[in-house]
Amino acid sequence: MGRLFIESLNGPKIFKCKCCKVDSASHDDIISKDFQGRYGRAYLFKNVILFLPLPPSLQCVDFWVNISLGPNEDRHLMSGLHTVNDIYCSSCQQILGWRYEKAYEESEKYKEGLFILEKERMLKEGW
Amino acid sequence: MEALKTLRTEIVPLCINSSKVCELSSCIVSPSPSALVGCHSQGAVRAKSRSKLLEELQKLLPPTVMIPERRLEHLVEQALDLQRDACMFHNSLEGEMSLYTDHQCGKDKIPSRTLQVNVNGGVSLKHKLSGHQKPVSHVSWSPDDCQLLTCGVEEAVRCWDVSSGECLRIYEKAGVGLVSCGWSPDGKLVFAGINDRSICMWDLDGKELECWKGQRTLQISDLEIASNGNQIISICKDTAILLFDREAKAEKFIEEDHTITSFSLSRDCRFLLVNLLNQEIHLWNIEGEAKFIAKYKGHKRERFIIRSCFGGFEEAFIASGSEDSQVYIWHKSSGELIEVLPGHSGSVNCVSWNPANPHMLASASDDRTIRIWGLNKINMKRKGTHPNGTHYCNGGT
Repeated sequence: MGRLFIESLNGPKIFKCKCCKVDSASHDDIISKDFQGRYGRAYLFKNVILFLPLPPSLQCVDFWVNISLGPNEDRHLMSGLHTVNDIYCSSCQQILGWRYEKAYEESEKYKEGLFILEKERMLKEGW
Repeated sequence: MEALKTLRTEIVPLCINSSKVCELSSCIVSPSPSALVGCHSQGAVRAKSRSKLLEELQKLLPPTVMIPERRLEHLVEQALDLQRDACMFHNSLEGEMSLYTDHQCGKDKIPSRTLQVNVNGGVSLKHKLSGHQKPVSHVSWSPDDCQLLTCGVEEAVRCWDVSSGECLRIYEKAGVGLVSCGWSPDGKLVFAGINDRSICMWDLDGKELECWKGQRTLQISDLEIASNGNQIISICKDTAILLFDREAKAEKFIEEDHTITSFSLSRDCRFLLVNLLNQEIHLWNIEGEAKFIAKYKGHKRERFIIRSCFGGFEEAFIASGSEDSQVYIWHKSSGELIEVLPGHSGSVNCVSWNPANPHMLASASDDRTIRIWGLNKINMKRKGTHPNGTHYCNGGT
């Protein structure tokens, strides 16, 4: 495989892909620990690793590091119908969770743009 | 004035001794004693002073009164230069430029055909350099092409003899890992980026001469040494490249809006080609204040470090790899995409244009092959038995 372009998070507490140890998200970005994924417990994050130093106006979800974004899919989750994108580790292509693109019920709209990472797929560092 | 009048109206019409007349008029023009004394050199001095006078006059008079020397020649040359610059496919020295029609090359001088895949062809494997324990991230040729530096990621830098394949020296540092390598242009110094963000310099015997600490480089960064060996170039922040003059201790930066993944220095060290996360390649002029010049788009980059390079006749082209398995070639000054070369069956991670042969390009891909590209000689009458380059040879690097 070619040389992956990957970035590292500054910590202190970081979630990494369990399979290849590439940084995925920071503990500081956790919004809720009470979610359910495909493989059990999952956390809701407001952000996963992006090109961090840029101001929000220049950050653009079209260009990612460490994580690859899958296509839009409509899915019936426990909380109703949503349009989601599965997210994969760019290094080993393991599914790490998904991103909420759109929610169809008013009460679920707060999740739009947020990320779910499956606890089972993560390694914790810095604890 | 009286003397001049006399000369003009009375002496010259007599038509006698014209050489004396010339002598007298030159005295009027430049009445210096030395011109009168040396008689055998007088001719040369006279001629020189006359043409010098003419030059002085030309500078003073506006062009509308007196056309500058060789003006037509200058205009014609200028037209030819402009035509050459506008020619997007101009890639050889040999093309004579005709005055009868505007110059326009065809695409036939741009490498576009696979000549060889891996070792079946004119280019053959010379050595396999073993020794690194970690993946090799960077390679740097010595200025005399006799030695090669290679960097194992977060490990060490090795210096190899190109003709024997022998490892001459290992550069490493206790407690840290080396992440990039580069030669000084005089071939006497070796530089390496370290994973603690510093940059170190060694002599050829392996003695560490200097270490610049601070945020000089990143874990993933290229390293180039430019100018007279004083300018160290590396990615120092996600969106910035540091050009550090180690002698003047001066820093200048290239600041981008998106994350920088790799860069490449032109042979004349005047330009830097910067690859960005957002799939754009930016050209910067790094003489004096760094100036953004042009951008190149079209290729694909989502996961990997994709490398691009300068190349062709007078480095008039930009080539790049791409994650869609193709090689992309742009015309440097116009920014036009002029060729997209399919052939590889995996992401093309890097390209290298032969500095000695503008018609040859090499590319390396995730399909584990290296392809050599050359000219497409479809106009050849002979039914060619050219090796088509589809014979794959699975091999490691």
